[in-house]
Parts: sequence; C-alpha cells; structure tokens
Amino acid sequence: MEQNDKLQRLELFEAEALGFSGQLFRVALRVCRDRERAEDLIQETYLQAWRSFHRFEIGTNLRAWLYKILFNVHYSEVRRGRLELAPIEETIAETIAYDPPTPQQLTEEEVLAALERIPRDFQVPVVLADVEELSYREIADALQIPLGTVMSRLSRGRKLLRMELANYARGAGYQVAN
Amino acid sequence: MKPPVVMDCQNFKELLDSYLCGELAVETNHSVLCHAERCCACRGEMSARRRLRASLRSVCSKEKMSDRAMESLREKIRSEAGVGAGAARTGDGGGRRGRFAGLFKVWLLTPAAVALLLGAALGLYVLRRGGSDDAQTQRRLSPEQINALELSASLMADSASSHRSCAAHSADAAGPAEMPDSVREYDPACVGLDKVAAAGAGGLLLRAAHVCKFGDRKFAHLVYTRGGGPVSLLVTVRDYRALKSGAPPPFSGLSLGPQRFTLDHIALGAYQTLKRIVLVASNLPEDENAALAESLARPVVEHLRKAEAGAGLEEQGGRTMRIEDRGSRIEDRVIALKAILDPRFSIFDPRH
Repeated sequence: MEQNDKLQRLELFEAEALGFSGQLFRVALRVCRDRERAEDLIQETYLQAWRSFHRFEIGTNLRAWLYKILFNVHYSEVRRGRLELAPIEETIAETIAYDPPTPQQLTEEEVLAALERIPRDFQVPVVLADVEELSYREIADALQIPLGTVMSRLSRGRKLLRMELANYARGAGYQVAN
Repeated sequence: MKPPVVMDCQNFKELLDSYLCGELAVETNHSVLCHAERCCACRGEMSARRRLRASLRSVCSKEKMSDRAMESLREKIRSEAGVGAGAARTGDGGGRRGRFAGLFKVWLLTPAAVALLLGAALGLYVLRRGGSDDAQTQRRLSPEQINALELSASLMADSASSHRSCAAHSADAAGPAEMPDSVREYDPACVGLDKVAAAGAGGLLLRAAHVCKFGDRKFAHLVYTRGGGPVSLLVTVRDYRALKSGAPPPFSGLSLGPQRFTLDHIALGAYQTLKRIVLVASNLPEDENAALAESLARPVVEHLRKAEAGAGLEEQGGRTMRIEDRGSRIEDRVIALKAILDPRFSIFDPRH
C-alpha cells in the first residue's frame, strides 16, 4: 500500500512538477550563468522537491514552491563555497539617474546581449517578473528578500536593460525617442 | 502603492512596468490608462515596453535543458523514489502502461479505490449538473485555489491584441461567415463554433470565423459586430501560460464564473472549462461586455464542457489537466494573409 502511494505520488510529481523544469532552468541559467551548473542546480532542486513533495499541499502554488526550493539550494551552494558569490553591484545601479526611453526597434540578439550585461542581482528579478510572470510577492518569497527590495531591484534592473538597449540602438542608428 | 493624484510622464514611466505586470491597484491602472490616452509619447513608450517584454520572453524561452540532462533528472528522481529502473525504463510508454495496469488491479481490491471511484463519480455528477452548482463549488475553493485560476496578463494581452487586429480586418467583411471545418486541426471541439454560439448571439452579426494566431497563442475566433462596433468570441487552450500561477489547476474554472478585465480600452470577459478558455472581447464598457459575455459565451462553454466530458476529461481525484495540455500540436503551416497592426499577427488556414 505504501509502495502504491509512493508510485502515485511519483506519477503526480512527474506530471505536475517536472512541467516547470523549462521555466526553472531558464532562471537557473540566469543565476548560474553556466549551462552545466544550471542543470546541476535544477537536478538538486528537483531531488529536494521530491523529498518534500509529501508535505506539499495539492492545489497551492506549486510553481512558487519550486522556485523557493531552487533559490534555497542556490543559497546553500553559495554558502558552502561551491558557487562564487556575485559581488553586490548596487552601486552601479545607484548611479543611474537618467531613465532612457525604450527603443522602438530591437532584435532578439540585442535584447539577450543587453540582458546578459545586467548584474545578476537585477537580472534575476527582471526575468522572474517579465519572462516568468511571477508576482512581486512570489519573487520576494522565492528570493527571500523583502518586497520593497524586489521592487527596487526590478526598477533598477529594467532601467539598466533600457539603458543597454538604448546604447545598442544608438550604435545601430535606430530611432530612440527623447 | 498609492496612485499619484495627477499622473505626469515621470510617474507614468515609473509605474508602467508594474502596470504591464498587473501589479497595480485598479485605480492606479485607471490613472495609467488615462495618462496614456492623453500623451502620445507615453503611448509609444507603452508599446515599446510591451514589445521588449515579448522579446525577452521569446529570447529566454529558447533556452532549454538538454535531453540528456532531462533524462538524467527523471532517472535520479525515480531512483530516489526507489522505483526500479526496470519498471520505469522498459520503453517510455510501455513501461508506464505496464506499471499502472498492475496498480489498477491492486487498487480495485482496496477500499481506497472504492472511495476514489465514488469521489470521481461525484465530481462527474457535479460537473454535469452545470451552472447551478457553480456557487456551491466556489464556496469549497480556498482563496489559494481561486488565485490559482487567475488568468495571466499575457493571455489577456494576446486576446485583446487578437480582437483588435482581427476586428480591424474583419469588421467590414460582407458576412455571413461560418467556421471552416479545417478548425478541426486546431481544436475538434470548435467545429461548428458559429452555430453553437448562435444560441447566445442575438443582435450580433457574424462577420468572420477563423483560427488566428497572436504571438505563440492560437484562437478559434468569431468576429461579430453590434451597432458597428466589433465583438470577438475567442476560444483557446487553457495551458500553463494561460494562468497567472503558471500551473494547470486541478479543478474546473467554471465554478469561478467570469473573470473581467479591461486592457487598452478593450473589455474582456473570460470563462474557463477544464481544457479551454472562452473570452468575449469588445470595445464596450466592462459591465456591458460582461453582460454580453454571459449570453454569448455560455452556450459555447456548455458545449465545450460536454465535449470534454465525452473525451473522458472529468475531474478525477482532484486533478485533471496534464502536461500534454500545454499547447496545440497543429503544425504551423501559416499563410499570413495580412500582417495587421502588429507584425506578429497572422490569420491562417490550416488546410493549406
């Protein structure tokens, strides 16, 4: 009977939780900036999720729960020294007073290159909000930081992204409104 | 976040991203839209940021885990779960079927199976009894479950854009129109959609019926006019991107009743079935659109529920949607008839 329960739980886990692996991987890639490390992070995240899955309440937010585990795993790896800690890059963003307008014409390559140039502390919340469509509250829970910090990092991150893009656009001679 | 008393361009730009994420209070949304209506430069900025978000989503979604890593992940989980590699790996489909056939036999002998079957039968009964049970079902849903059914901002944006683009193209069409049978390739349940919807379409003139695509979302789309203004009925797949939670919820969304939104002056009313979302979009005020949605969408929703029940999509043991529900599998043999307003938009005929 116990084995049946486990099989049933495994089937549920594979059907529901593994469906988020693509989304989680995209975020892991932003966090690790390395494919292989990102795949390792996803593997560890899912193993931990499976170990706790019996405590997960079906019908509650599975995606948010998985993101929280992902960042828990990531923070522990950082603490154990397996991953280098990114320097706090707040000062870079502090200097942005000018809010550049968003260029009207952009290629996907330029968008990706601009995203990758943003410091990780700002890039991850932007991807969580604008690509994965997590709510600000879900981001705060996943990253384990206050809601106000999420909002400030998002604001700075998006501003930095626009700035990078405006630089590309000017270089390519695209129109950037004032 | 309190809305500023008078929104200027600076406030607008600061709040714009939160507006696009659906994070602002209703009254602040209103201030944002009022400002956009008055200020041409800010409207341009709004479109540019929308395009940037779409571009970010598109570029990031190209990053995928390798098949090898995915397979290794599955194996590790199965090994952690103590499921023998033989049981899990004797061919993908065969292994799973074999395992669950065995499970089923054991279950038949257990009282738990009896309870489960009774539960499934009760679920089916509630599902088939229709609207009168909706309020009762809703009372049983927790706030978290109700939140899990909230539709995503991207679905709303794609639906509103599809309405805007098709309406511009089709509202002057001569009509009458009918849904081509080729819609079967997108969604067999939408064959004859115009006839199903006719029951609730009193006073509306059907101008066009087609399958269209906005971004990477497809819709079976009926375009009507009422008093010269366009009205859209859209049916799309309820996949993980359609819901704000990003999760396929384990229960019918119909119990929630319609969800209402206004986006860029387009009012949307949406109903959910187990597999699909039915939306009515128009340029009418939100209340008027909601009343129209009530009559226009209901026969369609009931038709889809019957089709889904016939296909064995009942609510069973608390979950129904599966990962395979993520999107249509139709091949994209797109014939772009016209790129209207937005280059990502196309109408296509799956027959060609």
